[in-house]
Amino acid sequence: MVTRGPTAPRASLFTKYFLALFAAAVGPLLVAGGSEAWFGYRDQRDRLSDLLDSEARLAAFKIQYFLQGISDQLEWMVQLPWSAGADERRRLDGLRLLRQVQPVMSLRLVDGAGRERLSVSRIGLNRVESGDDYSDDPAVIGATAHGAWFGPVIFQGGSEPFMTVAVAGNRSATGVAIAEVNLKFIWEIISAIHVGRTGEAFVLDAPGRLVAHPDISLVLRADDASARPLQLLRSAIVARPGQAAAGRDTGGTAVMAAMAPIPMVEWSVIVKQPVAEAFGPIHAALWRTGILLVAGTFFAALLAYWLSQRMIGPIHQLEDGVARIGAGQFDHRIRLATGDELERLAGRFNRMAGELAVSQERSERIGRLRRFLAPQVAELIERSGDERVLDGRRVEVVAVFCDLRGFTAFSAQAQPETIISVLGAYYDAVERVIAMYEATLTSFSGDGIMALVNAPVACPDPAQRAVSMARAMQGCVQGLLVDWRAAGHELGFGVGLAMGPATVGRIGSEGRLDYTAVGHVVNLASRLCASAKDREILLDRTVARAVGGTVDLIELEARPLKGFTRHVPVFAIDTQRHEVLGDRASAVIGDRELQAGAAADSGGGTIR
Amino acid sequence: MPVAGRNEPLSQPLAIRRAATDLRRRDLLASMVAMCAMPMGLRSARAQPSALPVIGYLGSESPERYASRLGAFAEGLAETGYVEGRDLSMLFRWADGHYRQLPALAKELAAAGVTVLVAPGGAEVALAAKAATSTIPIVFELGGDPVALGLVNSLARPGGNMTGVTSLSVEVSRKRLEFMRELFPQAKLFAVAANPTSPTVKSQLTNLDAAAATLGVELRVLNANHSDAFEELFTATRDMGAGGLVFTSDPYFAYRSRRLAELAAQHGVATITQSRDFPLAGGLMSYGGDFLQSHRHTGIYAGRILKGEKPADLPVQRVTKVELFINLKAAQALGLSVPPALLSSADMVIE
Repeated sequence: MVTRGPTAPRASLFTKYFLALFAAAVGPLLVAGGSEAWFGYRDQRDRLSDLLDSEARLAAFKIQYFLQGISDQLEWMVQLPWSAGADERRRLDGLRLLRQVQPVMSLRLVDGAGRERLSVSRIGLNRVESGDDYSDDPAVIGATAHGAWFGPVIFQGGSEPFMTVAVAGNRSATGVAIAEVNLKFIWEIISAIHVGRTGEAFVLDAPGRLVAHPDISLVLRADDASARPLQLLRSAIVARPGQAAAGRDTGGTAVMAAMAPIPMVEWSVIVKQPVAEAFGPIHAALWRTGILLVAGTFFAALLAYWLSQRMIGPIHQLEDGVARIGAGQFDHRIRLATGDELERLAGRFNRMAGELAVSQERSERIGRLRRFLAPQVAELIERSGDERVLDGRRVEVVAVFCDLRGFTAFSAQAQPETIISVLGAYYDAVERVIAMYEATLTSFSGDGIMALVNAPVACPDPAQRAVSMARAMQGCVQGLLVDWRAAGHELGFGVGLAMGPATVGRIGSEGRLDYTAVGHVVNLASRLCASAKDREILLDRTVARAVGGTVDLIELEARPLKGFTRHVPVFAIDTQRHEVLGDRASAVIGDRELQAGAAADSGGGTIR
Repeated sequence: MPVAGRNEPLSQPLAIRRAATDLRRRDLLASMVAMCAMPMGLRSARAQPSALPVIGYLGSESPERYASRLGAFAEGLAETGYVEGRDLSMLFRWADGHYRQLPALAKELAAAGVTVLVAPGGAEVALAAKAATSTIPIVFELGGDPVALGLVNSLARPGGNMTGVTSLSVEVSRKRLEFMRELFPQAKLFAVAANPTSPTVKSQLTNLDAAAATLGVELRVLNANHSDAFEELFTATRDMGAGGLVFTSDPYFAYRSRRLAELAAQHGVATITQSRDFPLAGGLMSYGGDFLQSHRHTGIYAGRILKGEKPADLPVQRVTKVELFINLKAAQALGLSVPPALLSSADMVIE
C-alpha cells in the first residue's frame, strides 16, 4: 500500500458528500412527513369539531323533544274550561297522564281563578277540589303569561333533579296544568349518546348545575364544586363559538367538547371526548410517520454513506494508483468501472502510466545501447525502435584497436590511484573521439580499446572515417601523454586499423550486453595495434587502399604478425605531414570546430 | 297480635351454612389436587382466582326467595364489567327469615375480609351491615329514607362507608290505602298489616294515619312478624268487616308474597301489598318500587366500588319507578269490579 500524503483531504470530501446527500434525502422526507402530520392533525380537529357539534345538536334536539313532549301532554289537560263541580273525567285523564308520561311525578290542575282543582301523584295522595290558591305560584303566572313555563331545576332531598313544567290553555278558563318532572329520565337520552368509545354528553342548566350526565351519581351529588370543571368547559366553548374547545372534565381528563343550547329551558348540552381518544388515530398516524421518518433517516444515512463511499472510493483508488505510478510502479493499472468521468480519468492515468513505462524502458534501452554506441547513434536506433540492426550478421567493418605503450611497466610502478586516474583520463579522451565519429566502442580491456566503424550502423566511406578517428585519437592521447611524461610516466600510444568482413552482433545476457565483432579483420587490427609504436597509426592493405588517395601513407616493410603465416603488408600514416593536424586536434579536443571537422570527415553521412 | 316464636327449626340455617362450608372445603380440596397435578408453570396462572375481589352478600332470606333479585344484581354487576367466578367471587350468608341473625351473619362476612359488603333487602339488613363494620364499603338496598335510618349523612354525600339504593316502597304505603279506598269507596274501616320489628314501621304507620285522616277512613293495625301469624291477619280483617287489608312495606312480607296471595284468596280478603309478586301469585293488587331495578342498581354500585370508587362519594340512588299491578282474576274471585280510575293507572293488569 502506498502511503498517502500527510494532509489527506479524503475525510472532508467524504463528509461533504455525505452531508449533501443526507440532506437531499432527509430534507424532503421531513418536510413531507411534517406537513402531513400537521394537516392530518388539523383535519382531525375539524372533523372532531363537526362530529361533537352535530352530536350536541342531536342531543339538544332530543332533550327539547322530551320536554316538548311533556308540555304537549299537559296541553291535553287544559283544553276544556272548568265546570263548577268535581270533574271525574279530568281525574281519569290526570291518572292516565301519570300512567302515560313516566317522568311526571305529580300533576296539579289549577282553574282560571288560580284554585287547585285536581292533584294526582305517584307518591302522595290524590286530591280533588282542594281549592288551594295557586294564583301567586310562579308556575301559574309564568304559564299564563307565556303559554308554557319551565321552572328552574330543583334538587329534591338535595339530590334528585326535578323541574316544574306548567302549561296554560288558550283561554284563561281552561286553567293551568302544572307537572313535577323527574329529570333523571333525561339520563336515558344522555347516556345513549356516545362519541367514539368513551365520548359522552352532559347537560348544564343556566346557573351551571349538572342536570344530566351518563354517570347519574354526578348529578345526584348536586355539587356545584364538582361541576366546576364542566362549567369552565362551557365557558371555553362559549368563548369560541362554532369550534370544539379543549378543557378538562370532572375526572381531570383532557377533553375536546362542543355545545348546543336548549333555548326553551336555557340549558346547554355539551358533548365531550377525551383528547387522547379523539386524536388517537392521528396520534397513531403521527407515531407511524415518526417511525417511518426515523427509518427513512436511517436509510438515507445508509444511502448517503454508500453513495459517498461510491464516489470517494474511485477517487481514493485514483489517488492510490497515481501514488503508485508516481513511485515508479508503472505496471500498476487503476481498475475503475464506474462508467463516468472518473473511469475516463482512470483510463488517462493508466495510459500515462503505460507511456511512462514505455519511456522508462526506452531510456533503459538507450542506456544499454550507449554502452557501446555513440549517444546519437544509440538515440537513433532507439527512436527507430528497431534493434534488428544489432542482430548478428556479416558486414564489412573497420576494426580500430588502440592501446598505451609501456603501460605494463607503468602499472607495476605507479600508485593505484595514479593508474586509475591515468586510465580514466585516457578512456575519457578515447571515448569522446569514438562518440564524435559515431563509431562503436566494443570493448575495454586494460589499456586496450576496440572500436568498430560501419557496424552496426553503416556509414559512407568507413575507412576514411576510421582513419580520421585514429588520427583524432592520436591527437588527444598525445596531448595527455605530454602531461604524463612530465610526471615521469614513460607511456606511449599506438593505433591499428584493419578493414574487412567480420561477424558482428550483440552478445551477452539481459543484464550485461555487448556488441562485438569476430573475424580475421579483428585479429589483424589487434596485431597491427600491438606492433604500432608510440604515435604510430598502422593500417592494413584494405584500409590503405581505401584511403590511399586522400591520406599520405607510408608503406612499411611487411612484417610477421602473430597468428599470420605470411608477412603482412603494413601502412603507416605519414605522421610528419599530419603532425600539425594532430597537435591541433589535441589542443581543441571536444571543441565545436573539431566536431565540425569530424562531420566534414564523415561526409555528413547518415545511418543507412 | 301474638308475636310468633321460633317455630321453624333453628338448625336449618346452620345446616345450610355447614353445607355451604363443606362445599367450599370440597372446592378447595379439588383445587389443591388440581394444583398438585398441574405443571409448575401453570400453577401461578391458576392461583390467580384467590386474588379476586370478594363480594360478601348478606341475604335476609334464602337463595330461592332471592333468586330474581340475585339475577338483577348480577345484571348490574355485569354492566360494570364484573362476572362472578371470572372477575370476583361471592360469599353468601343467608338469614333465611331469621332477621335477628343478621347482625351475626354480617359480622361473619366482615371478619371474612370481603372487599364489598352488599346488604340488600331492607333496612334490617342494612342496619346489621352497618353494625358489623365501619371500614368495609357497604351497598344497601332498601325502601325508606336512609338518612332517617341513620345510614348516611345525606343522599347526595353519604359520607361514611355506606351507600346504596332506595325505592319509594315505604313512602307509598299511603297510596296503597288510597287505591284500596278507590276500590271500596263506601268502606269506613281498613286493616293495616305491619311488622312491628321493622325499622320503618313507625314512619309508615304515621304516614298511613295521616292519609286515613285525609281520606276519612279508620285504620286498624294488625301486627305480624312471622309467617305463622299471617293467617290471623286475614281472618282478623275479615272478622272486623274492614274493606280490605293494606300491607305496609316490609321485606319479610314481600318475600312471602306467594303465601300471602294464597291466604288472601283462601279467606276472600281484598289485599294490596308492596310487591308485584303478590298479584302475580294470585293476589289482588300491589303498589311499590321496582325491586328488579333497585337490585340492578345495587349491583352497579357494588361494581363501581370494586373499581375503586368510595361509597362516601356515591350518592344514594332513588329508584323512582313505582308500579301498580292489578290481578283482575283475583278481583273477579272477590266479586269486585275495578273502577276505570284504577285500571287506567295500572302499569300491569293481569287478566
